[in-house]
Amino acid sequence: MNARLNRTSWIARITFLEAIRQRFFAFLLVLSAAMVVSSVSLRFMDFGHSELKFVADFAFGGMFLFGSVLALVMTAQLFFAEIENRTALTLLAKPLSRTEFLLGKFLGTWAVLGVFVFSLAFLQGIILWSRTQELIVMAAETGRVAPDFSVSGLASFAVLQWLRLGVVAAMVLMVSAVARTFLFTVIVGAMAIVAGQLQWLAQEALLKPSDASVVTKSLLWVSSRVIPNLQQFNIGDTLVLDPTAISGAAVWSVILSGLFYLVAFLALASLAFRRREI
Amino acid sequence: MSTSSAISVQGLTKDFRVGLRGIKLRAVDNLSLEIPRGQVFGLLGPNGCGKSTTLKIVLGLIPATSGAISILGFPSATTEARQRTGFLPEAPYFHKFLTGRELVQYCARLSGVPSAQVHDAVEASLELAAMTEAASRPIGTYSKGMLQRIGLAQAIVHDPELVILDEPTAGVDPVGSAAIGRMINAMRAKGKTIVLCSHLLGQVEQVCDRVAIMDRGRLVLEGRVDEVLAQRDRHVITVAYLTPQARQAAEAALAAHGATVTSITHPRRSLEDLFRELVTGSRDA
Ligand SMILES: Nc1ncnc2c1ncn2[C@@H]1O[C@H](COP(=O)(O)OP(=O)(O)OP(=O)(O)O)[C@@H](O)[C@H]1O
Ligand SMILES: [Mg+2]
Repeated sequence: MNARLNRTSWIARITFLEAIRQRFFAFLLVLSAAMVVSSVSLRFMDFGHSELKFVADFAFGGMFLFGSVLALVMTAQLFFAEIENRTALTLLAKPLSRTEFLLGKFLGTWAVLGVFVFSLAFLQGIILWSRTQELIVMAAETGRVAPDFSVSGLASFAVLQWLRLGVVAAMVLMVSAVARTFLFTVIVGAMAIVAGQLQWLAQEALLKPSDASVVTKSLLWVSSRVIPNLQQFNIGDTLVLDPTAISGAAVWSVILSGLFYLVAFLALASLAFRRREI
Repeated sequence: MSTSSAISVQGLTKDFRVGLRGIKLRAVDNLSLEIPRGQVFGLLGPNGCGKSTTLKIVLGLIPATSGAISILGFPSATTEARQRTGFLPEAPYFHKFLTGRELVQYCARLSGVPSAQVHDAVEASLELAAMTEAASRPIGTYSKGMLQRIGLAQAIVHDPELVILDEPTAGVDPVGSAAIGRMINAMRAKGKTIVLCSHLLGQVEQVCDRVAIMDRGRLVLEGRVDEVLAQRDRHVITVAYLTPQARQAAEAALAAHGATVTSITHPRRSLEDLFRELVTGSRDA
């Protein structure tokens, strides 16, 4: 057991190192950081809560978009490309099970995504804090109510985004395990992300009484079960600006459902990878 | 399956499905092979005859269509079997962002070398592969021959009992090839089993104890090198100062006993021998 953990953690470490040494990661990180910082320039006449909300939303959007791209491309790069360019061949000839390899790859990628999410969240915290200080001064001058934001809400949001990217990475890993080309991996992975973003539509449609056919209904039912709801992680503005509007139980249910999908995708990926020809 | 064999292959068949219609391509056809321990075994054959495929199946990298394989008495594709095996794939490719030393360290960790021994094991195998000098450069900057040699270092870092080398000399210069030949001999002297795929027949003849020749996925010959190459019904007599008269007399004397002289030529040295004779004393000899 110890040896297994040891090997898995070495795979993860090298995967992390590989990702960090790539320009693509640095590029996306700088781009997203620029987006977060530039949100400060968005100023409104109504300098209250709605301005903070806009600043927050803009940064969340950047994190969400570039995070998805990063999770998709990094996973395909660190896992699929490794099989395709045959570096995996040498590693899999070592006393190492396929599941250890896959898990190590996932953990390394997820750690990189963690660096991405948490450094951006930290940056965003600084921006929100400094803008809030300015707004408090202005509010005192005009006699309005000063806006505020929740630091713990921001932290929970970062955890949720990290989990969301973990689900995306596990999904792409599953695609990689059966894919034959890099392009296929990226395209199907991207489609899976979009499907996850839109999954709530299927859920809504199911809830509404309608005269849709049984086939449509069962299709909707299946997609609402199989596809993870990625939209449910995007509750950042509520968590940060209006933390009382959301219950701890609701956040936990999102976390549990995310973990469920993450583990399920990893298990399927490992099953598919086990008999793959390297 | 015999436990005394390093590798035992029985009735191995591998079909690949190629193209959209999944046409069957038989890469290995009912191959049975026993590779004894402690010897150097050469696996030969033309391009595409299924050597690399066989080795990959032995290591559990691709599943066999049918047949049974064991490595050192363990079923292949188990971690126990791979723990005792080192593998250099053909045309190896490694993480180019790592340095040579980092790669070998990484492989040592994955192969379960205890932390306290990693440093020594890594330096020893880099030394053996003559890669100490370039070890702190990123692998992305290596030449083809250097890739082969760093591949060799990563294959032997955990001191495996069985070393499988798929074309270790491809792209390596003559001096490097000779060094690899010496490495193989040194490993045999330590009691290791080595399986070698190579198109350098001269070198195979020199270093291998046994050879197997494959053609179109089938085994066509297997045996000890001196046995398969010896022509038991022919003899070579080397004579100095052979005058035409002496030759006639000798032929007549042999004919009296029913023996015929089939050829008389000058013995030749191998180019390899000549080369070595001329360049001995060079740094690497
Ligand atoms: N993944 C694969 N899919 C389909 N066919 C394959 C695959 N790998 C190998 N083959 C086919 O199997 C046959 C044997 O290939 P293999 O690589 O084992 O040959 P080899 O003996 O190692 O040749 P070489 O001396 O060129 O290295 C070839 O006809 C090859 O085209
Ligand atoms: Mg080959």
